[in-house]
Amino acid sequence: MTRSEAEEILQQTFKIACFYDEQWNTIDMILNGERVLLIEKTGFGKSLCFQFPAIILDGITVIFSPLIALMRDQVKKLNQLGIPARCVNSEQTEEENSKIIEAAKSGKIKILYIAPERQNNEEWMEATRQMNLSMVVVDEAHCISAWGHDFRPAFRRIINLVKLLPKGLPVLATTATATKQVEADIVQQMGGDLKIIRGNLMRDNFKLFVIKVQSEEEKLIWLGKNIEKLPGTGILYTGTRVDTEVYSRWFEFLNIPSMGYNAGLDSESRIAIEEGLMQNKWKCVISTNALGMGIDKPDIRFIIHTQIPQSPVHYYQEIGRAGRDGKPAYIILFYAPEDKRLPEAFIEGGRPSIHKYEKVISEIKKDLLGERELIKKTNLKQNQFRIIKADLMDQKIVREVTIDRSKKLEYVPGAPKLNTQIFEALRASKTDDLNQMIEYVETSQSRMNYLCNFLGDSTPNIAESCDNTGLKKIQVIVTDEWIQKIEDFHGQYFPILEVEKKGSNLVNGIASSYYGFSNVGTTLHRCKYENGGDYPDFLLKLTLKAFRKQYGQDPFDLILYVPPTKSGNLVKNFAIKISDILQIPISHQLIKHKVTKEQKNLENAYLKSDNVKEAFRYQNPDELFGKTILIIDDIFDSGATIKEIGRYLTKLGAFKIAPLTIAKTVGGDKL
Amino acid sequence: MNNEAAYWITLAHLPKWGYVKLNNLIIRFFHENNLSIEAFFQLSEQEWKSDYNLEYKDVEDLKKAKNDIPNHAFLAETLMNEGYELIPITSPLYSKTLKENLKYNAPSLLYVKGNTAILQEDSIAIVGSRNASALSLDFTDHIAKKAGEENKVVVSGFAKGVDLKALDSIIQYRGKSIIVLPQGIMTFGSGFRKYYQQIINGNVLVISTFFPKAPWQAELAMARNPIIYGLASEIYVAESSEKGGTWSGVIDGLRKNRKIFVRIPESYELTANPLLIQKGAIPVDLFGNRTPDTHLLSESEKPQAIKANNKKNPNNPQPTLFD
Repeated sequence: MTRSEAEEILQQTFKIACFYDEQWNTIDMILNGERVLLIEKTGFGKSLCFQFPAIILDGITVIFSPLIALMRDQVKKLNQLGIPARCVNSEQTEEENSKIIEAAKSGKIKILYIAPERQNNEEWMEATRQMNLSMVVVDEAHCISAWGHDFRPAFRRIINLVKLLPKGLPVLATTATATKQVEADIVQQMGGDLKIIRGNLMRDNFKLFVIKVQSEEEKLIWLGKNIEKLPGTGILYTGTRVDTEVYSRWFEFLNIPSMGYNAGLDSESRIAIEEGLMQNKWKCVISTNALGMGIDKPDIRFIIHTQIPQSPVHYYQEIGRAGRDGKPAYIILFYAPEDKRLPEAFIEGGRPSIHKYEKVISEIKKDLLGERELIKKTNLKQNQFRIIKADLMDQKIVREVTIDRSKKLEYVPGAPKLNTQIFEALRASKTDDLNQMIEYVETSQSRMNYLCNFLGDSTPNIAESCDNTGLKKIQVIVTDEWIQKIEDFHGQYFPILEVEKKGSNLVNGIASSYYGFSNVGTTLHRCKYENGGDYPDFLLKLTLKAFRKQYGQDPFDLILYVPPTKSGNLVKNFAIKISDILQIPISHQLIKHKVTKEQKNLENAYLKSDNVKEAFRYQNPDELFGKTILIIDDIFDSGATIKEIGRYLTKLGAFKIAPLTIAKTVGGDKL
Repeated sequence: MNNEAAYWITLAHLPKWGYVKLNNLIIRFFHENNLSIEAFFQLSEQEWKSDYNLEYKDVEDLKKAKNDIPNHAFLAETLMNEGYELIPITSPLYSKTLKENLKYNAPSLLYVKGNTAILQEDSIAIVGSRNASALSLDFTDHIAKKAGEENKVVVSGFAKGVDLKALDSIIQYRGKSIIVLPQGIMTFGSGFRKYYQQIINGNVLVISTFFPKAPWQAELAMARNPIIYGLASEIYVAESSEKGGTWSGVIDGLRKNRKIFVRIPESYELTANPLLIQKGAIPVDLFGNRTPDTHLLSESEKPQAIKANNKKNPNNPQPTLFD
């Protein structure tokens, strides 16, 4: 097919007049059955490089993509053009996915987007035996490299698949962010005969700023004063889920229309927020970096980071979502010297200690076990276990097998010893990347050039649109008025305890503070574990304030408190004081009738929940029937204890059980 | 070979192509023309016809099969991900014993899991009835024990009776074993769970020659028998009736001059063991020891029977080009 013939079809089907040269080069190779790695910036039009050949080639094109939002978005656009495209992903019901897989088998779909994790699914694997496959696309191909910024173990299987595909079946791998090292890794993993097309990465419509601050409050103040002055709508990226909540509440407090987003939300909420973002419903969406990858919104006018990302690649990828329409976009990074602690902690804490690896290996050697059984046996946190599992699979020490439809981990006979040097090398490489990101803050050269150089694009363009090359530097001016606003905000901000569940009369509760905020955590620790005496009055005042915020004038019949494992009468005394002040009767009849371990020593939710199962009794159960109960504890961690008590009291006929605690932890808090 | 797995699956399961036809083709492209299987599938239809003397229907079969290679790539990836290995007949890992014994009837592709080195070790098979007598099971146990002591691998077919006894005994005596499945290797979940320790310790190898997802079928059980006999240098028969898999396997083995030992039954037993001994099998006692002065067979008859068979069925009818 000649270029002009192709462009005729392009006009008819995609309503686009012509290809860029690099697009056509790629498509030409694909149509000749070659394997191509395409590295082009966001907005270049990489998708067309597989969508076009997909409609030309006979059969179905399968696109492995880790981004559900992108799948949805592209499928919608293709369908509008009359191209039969679908996606299979975990947000759809199994019935929907089955229907789509069935349609793929019978040749009714030309383009199918699918998550790499689906290779573990039997129905999908069965279907792959019957499809007429025309091409395989590996989107976000940097995910296959452990040296990349977003390594995903599920991609390992895609690499193996690509190696097994017959010669002449076209394969396209695409990414917007691959350093030279990652590029080399992709080529090495996918096999030698991969042709590389690398475009330039310069985004000259970006206006880049770094705002140096001394504290978290300065960030809040600058944003409070200025975010509405920025043009259009945008995204505010925070470092943690808790921070998305804090910034959302702050904007709420200031009446700035915004919405919080994180990967922990249910899919319905996530879809609704993504749609809201597309429709400019809010000035900004506040999110962890879970949002935005693959969202094709052309007019994101600003992207602000309140937390320094782990590397220039992460940063380039995240800001890449702005200004796809080519019009100016504001790219702002806040940096306080202590900010680097969070990415440092990620790097340092990224891998569990070696003895935990050994423990997992030893259990797997003993028996064929599933993930849940292994987590229980090893007392590991689920996320730690998953890191270990991924590493052990990567090093070919264990593998995941299907036994009677359930997944088990199997020891690989004759497996090599655990290689810890590779962990050290990865850690060193990540530390180096972080230092380079901090260097971005400190550099006096063109910021865009700095990022492009890091990514291996040495095109000698000079971008002059940052605060080092002509734009005015931004400084934060703190006034008394804003200090007062911050204080007012802190005085009325309490974390919610999410415990509501079908079949339990437990309602969502409230804590007076996050554990790590101000001095709440350290005070609790001193009282609990260093004989520091009763919880002091400031905690009582704060907790009562939280109570009033959440429950207002709600009537309560009774106060109960969580009986202690080790810390004596601290919670009891605290609950008595609350009972005195609120004038709600207190009962001391909720007791532990079996010995439990301290929850904080158990690493995962399965063990915590097992630990407290059936552990509580109420001595006169009949008197709880129809009662509205306030249940008090000091620290809310996994919530397993409160949920178990809620379950038990519901069974005894309690009408409502409302939790109130002094603090709520966030992942990683040391108690 | 790893990257060629999809091609091998495609070739090995060409519908209605027997092993002989497949092996003839493999010898042509691999040994005579030095082509990889991938290169063979890249040839044009014309080349298939002219260089390989393939008929129209064969070319059509290959053309059709070629379209399935991408699909088999998915299957191959799943197999490898789950720790199964594919051993084509051209691989140095392929059992030499199997190749020598079955020649052109050797399966073109083995699906295995476990310690593949076992395939190159000295091996015996213990065969017999699904409803074996206590004596037969005793015999099986003794033979397995002896095999363990002599460091020989025990091949068995994972059926009830003698097969399972052979496996359990050799495991008990910490010897090595090959399980030859009457089904596709991916359908052996419970077995992999049961023999997990033995597999990861390198003492058990599981083999199947069938399509990986094929469920157990009587025909597959029959088709598996020659593989069991083929994988072993010596065959011990615990108990046979006058028909069925054991019987036909032994008869076939005798025709091919295989070393087959048959347990001498007690006088009250109703078995076809004496008949097999008459037909040339070597009689052994309950402990597997040869008994020169057997009352069942005169020494003069035995070699003659074998000689006669040899004349009718020369055991090496075609050149061996596999190695």
